[in-house]
Amino acid sequence: MLKDKSIYVIAVVVVLLAGCTGRYVGVPSDRVLAYQTRPTYGSLYELAHAYAEAINSAVAEDTLHPGMLADYGVALALMGHDGEACRMLNAEARAFPQSSRMVARIKERLLPGMVEDTTVNGTVGVDMGKLEGWAYDSIAALMPLPRIVSVVDSTDSVRVTQQTPTDSVEYPIRLTANQKRELLAAEQEKAEKRRQFVADSIAAAKQAVIDARKQAQIDRRNAKKEKQRLKEEMDKQRKKEAKEKALQREKEKQQRDAERRERNKKKKGGAK
Amino acid sequence: MRNQRLWKGVAVCCAVLATAAVLASCKGEKKIVQYSQMYKETPAVIYIAPINDLSSRRALRELNDSAYNASLNTAVKHCYLTAASPLVNRGYYVMGPLASAQLSATESRTGKQLRNESIEDLYTGLGIDAVLFVDIVEWTNTHAAWTVEAEYYVRSARTGGELLFAHVKATKLLPTDHKGNPKPLKADLDFAERYGCDLETAQRCRLVEILNEYVLSDLPSGSRARVDEKERYVKSHPEYFNLRIHRDGSVEMLKSTEEGS
Repeated sequence: MLKDKSIYVIAVVVVLLAGCTGRYVGVPSDRVLAYQTRPTYGSLYELAHAYAEAINSAVAEDTLHPGMLADYGVALALMGHDGEACRMLNAEARAFPQSSRMVARIKERLLPGMVEDTTVNGTVGVDMGKLEGWAYDSIAALMPLPRIVSVVDSTDSVRVTQQTPTDSVEYPIRLTANQKRELLAAEQEKAEKRRQFVADSIAAAKQAVIDARKQAQIDRRNAKKEKQRLKEEMDKQRKKEAKEKALQREKEKQQRDAERRERNKKKKGGAK
Repeated sequence: MRNQRLWKGVAVCCAVLATAAVLASCKGEKKIVQYSQMYKETPAVIYIAPINDLSSRRALRELNDSAYNASLNTAVKHCYLTAASPLVNRGYYVMGPLASAQLSATESRTGKQLRNESIEDLYTGLGIDAVLFVDIVEWTNTHAAWTVEAEYYVRSARTGGELLFAHVKATKLLPTDHKGNPKPLKADLDFAERYGCDLETAQRCRLVEILNEYVLSDLPSGSRARVDEKERYVKSHPEYFNLRIHRDGSVEMLKSTEEGS
C-alpha cells in the first residue's frame, strides 16, 4: 500500500499526462521562410513534403490541427497538382466546417474550375509515394512555379508577384554529376555576370555624376567670363558716351561765349 | 491582573496589525490585459493580418547595414509564422501561412484600412470572427540584452470593436562569461543552424517566437477547445479515463466510455 502523499503526487502526474493531447508545434517555418525567400518549385516541394509528414503523423495520432490540410492543398495547387489540391482543401473544409467559406475563396483563386467539387475521396492522409513522384531534379527545382503566384510577405509593404508561362512546367530530366556541376557553374557565371552588371551600372552612374559636375564647373566658368566681357564692353560704351557728351558740352560753351562776346561788342558800339 | 490586561492589549494590537497586513496584501495587481470582450464575443476563427513593422531600418552606409535590415525582416516573417501555433493550441481556428497569403492576395485593403474601417465583410464573406494585428514597434540591442517592443491588437470582425490590446516589451538577457562577454544560448545556436541564418537573426527570431507564445497562449479558450472539453465527457476519446481516490488511499482507474459518462 502506498502512503497518502505518494498517491496524491502520482494522481496529479497521471492527470497532467492525460491532459497532453498532441500540442501543435506550428508550421515548418524554416521551410516556409526558404520558400518565401525564393519561391521555386524546389522550395515549395520541400515545404509540401514537410506538411505531408506532419499531416500523416497528425492523422495517425488523431490530432489534426486547423490549417494544415489547407496549406498543403495550397502548396499542391501552386505546384500544379490540382486534383490532389482540391481533395485536400475539401478535406480541410470537412474537418473544420468554419473554414468552408475561406476554402471556397481560395479555390476560386487557385482552382477556379473546381469550386463546385467538394468530394473527399479516400482517407485524409497523404500518399507519400505519390508526393515523391512529383519530385524533380535540381534543374526543375530552380525553375519558377508553373502558375501565377502571389507571394504575400508577412509585411504590409512587400508583395512579390511573379508570372510564368504554363508551358514551362515539365522538366523530368535526370542529371549526371557532370551535368549538375555544369549547371552549378552556369548558375555561378550568371550570378557573376549579374554582379558585374550591377558593379558596371554603379560605376557608370558615378562617372556620369562626376562628368556632370565637371561640365557644370566649366559652364559656370564660361558664364563668369561672358559676364566680365559684357561688363567691360558696357564700361567702354559708357566712357565713350561720357566723352562725347563732354565734347558736346565744350562746344556749346564755346558757342555761348562767342555769342556773349558778340552781344557785348554790339552794346559797346551802340553806347559810343 | 495588570499583567493579564497588558497581554490582552498586546494580543489585540497584534490581531489588528495582522488583519491590516492581510487586508493590505489582498490588493492584487491590476491586470494589464483585459479579456472581458473576448469572453463576451467568443470568437472562433481568427485571421492573422500581415505584421506591421514600425521598427526603424538602417540607411545603407556601412557593410553590415544590409545584414542588419535583413535580420529584422526575417524576424518579422518568423513572428508572423509563429503567431498561429499559440492560438491553435488555445482552440481557435487559424489559417496557415500559405492559405492566408492567398486570402491576403484577394484583399485589396491595406493594414491601416483593416484596422480602422469596417471589416464586417470578412465575417459575412469568409466566416472570420476576429483579426489579429501585430505591430513590431522597436528593437533594441545592448551589451547582453535583446529587447523587442510590440503591440497585439485583436479586432472583432462582427462588431468592429477591440477584443484585446496588449503592449509588451520583452527582453532576453544572455549569460556572460568571466570577462563579461555575452554567451549565446544553445537554443539560439541550434536555431541558427537549423534555419541557416546568423546568430543575430536567431536571437531576434526566438525572442519574437517566445513573445508570441507568452502573449497569445494566455487568451481564453477558443471554441474548439471548449468543444473538446465537452466531448471529453460526452463522447470520450479511448485514452480518457476517470480516476477515483478512495479514503483508504487506494486508487481506482476506469476507462471513460460514452455509456459510462
